[in-house]
Parts: sequence; C-alpha cells; structure tokens
Amino acid sequence: MIEGVFFYSALVVMIGAFLALLRVFFGPSVPDRVVGVDTLNTLVVAGMVLLGAAYDRTIYIDIAIVYALLSYIGTLAIAKYLQGGLR
Amino acid sequence: MNQRSLHSDMGVIVKTTARATIPLIGIFGAYVVSHGHLTPGGGFQGGATIAGAGILFLLAFGLGEMKKKYDHHLYSALEGLGGLVFLGMAMLGLGVAFFYNTLWHNGPFNGEPGTLLSAGYLPIMNLAVGLKVFTGLMSAMVAIAMYRRWKE
Repeated sequence: MIEGVFFYSALVVMIGAFLALLRVFFGPSVPDRVVGVDTLNTLVVAGMVLLGAAYDRTIYIDIAIVYALLSYIGTLAIAKYLQGGLR
Repeated sequence: MNQRSLHSDMGVIVKTTARATIPLIGIFGAYVVSHGHLTPGGGFQGGATIAGAGILFLLAFGLGEMKKKYDHHLYSALEGLGGLVFLGMAMLGLGVAFFYNTLWHNGPFNGEPGTLLSAGYLPIMNLAVGLKVFTGLMSAMVAIAMYRRWKE
C-alpha cells in the first residue's frame, strides 16, 4: 500500500535539501559549505526514511541508518582537517 | 591555530561519542554482513561499514592510540584468510562444478528460504568478503595515515 502523504512530505524535505544545496554552492567560506553538507546529510536521511515508508519497504530503513552513521564520520573527518589535524 | 596533528586525539565530546558509536557501527555492520542474502547490503557494504567504525576510532583517538591496537601482520593474515575462505567455499562442490552450492543442495544450510541459514555458502562467503574488505580498508587507512613525508 503506497501512501501519498509520505511522498508529499518527502517533497517538502527535498525542497529543504535544495535550500541547503544553495548554501553549499554559494557559501563564501569552507565551514559554511561543511554546515550545508551536514544539513544535507540529515535531510537525506529524513528523505530515505520517508521514502521507505512511502514504498512500504522496511529494509530501506537499513540504508538510512548506515548513511546516518557514515555521514557523521565524514563530517568529523572534514572538521578534523579544518581545525589543523591530519598533518 | 593550534597545531594538532593526527597523532593527537580530538575533544572529550568526540571521544565519548565515539566510545558510544563505534560498537553501534560495528554491530550494525556485522548485521549487514550476516544478513547479506536477506536484506540490502552484503560483504562489501558491511565490511565498509565496519571499516567506518575503525576510521572513526582513528579520527577520534588519533594515530598514536591506533598504533597500539593495530597489528599489521594480523590484519594482513586476516585479509588473506578472507580470500581463502571465499575460494574454499567455491571449491566445496568441485565434484559437480566450480561455485556449485553443495551446502544448499545436500548440506546443512538448506533451511526455509527467507531464514538466516537458507542460502548455502552465501552467508559464509559474505563473512569472508566482509572480513577481507574490513581488514583491507583498515590497513589502507592506517598506511595512509602513517605516511610521513609532508613538504612543510
């Protein structure tokens, strides 16, 4: 059973993701872009969960969990690089 | 800017969060590997997820702490063992054909399809590939982190 409500909410999340993408494109400094990418990661996780509910597939949630865990590591690596680590 | 190096660790919040998150990522990666024939994922994806836990350890606690935990010979041997287990599972049904799934046709792993032990050699191959991917990625990351020829 495919619910239309979840598609509409995924569309709202997608609009928010495009707004975060604008910050990634036009961010004047590097930390601006990092914060934009971090917001984009969270919105992508929300979109994955909503689409998993929309298509009524439980196994799609697994990918959302993996993406949430690994995007945290990616943001952490960029943060450690920007504060002068990794050298 | 304070000159932190890769040898030093990060702040106390990151370290505490890493202590909580590393077992979670490891267990979830093990779940992805062992359910590779039932859910999305499999050997490579689960192995890369567990290697993400190792990379989180390397980032949060620094290379100095990683060098105490990391044994190059052990990881190299385990990577070889993963490949050997994969080939051994492929050789098991060599009486019929290469990659013949004899563990499913007349072996112990022929349960009801959809359960965990229902795919013959596939879970064992997933475990082997997961072990190989995890050890290989961790060896590569530690080798890159230890590469010390920066032009200042």
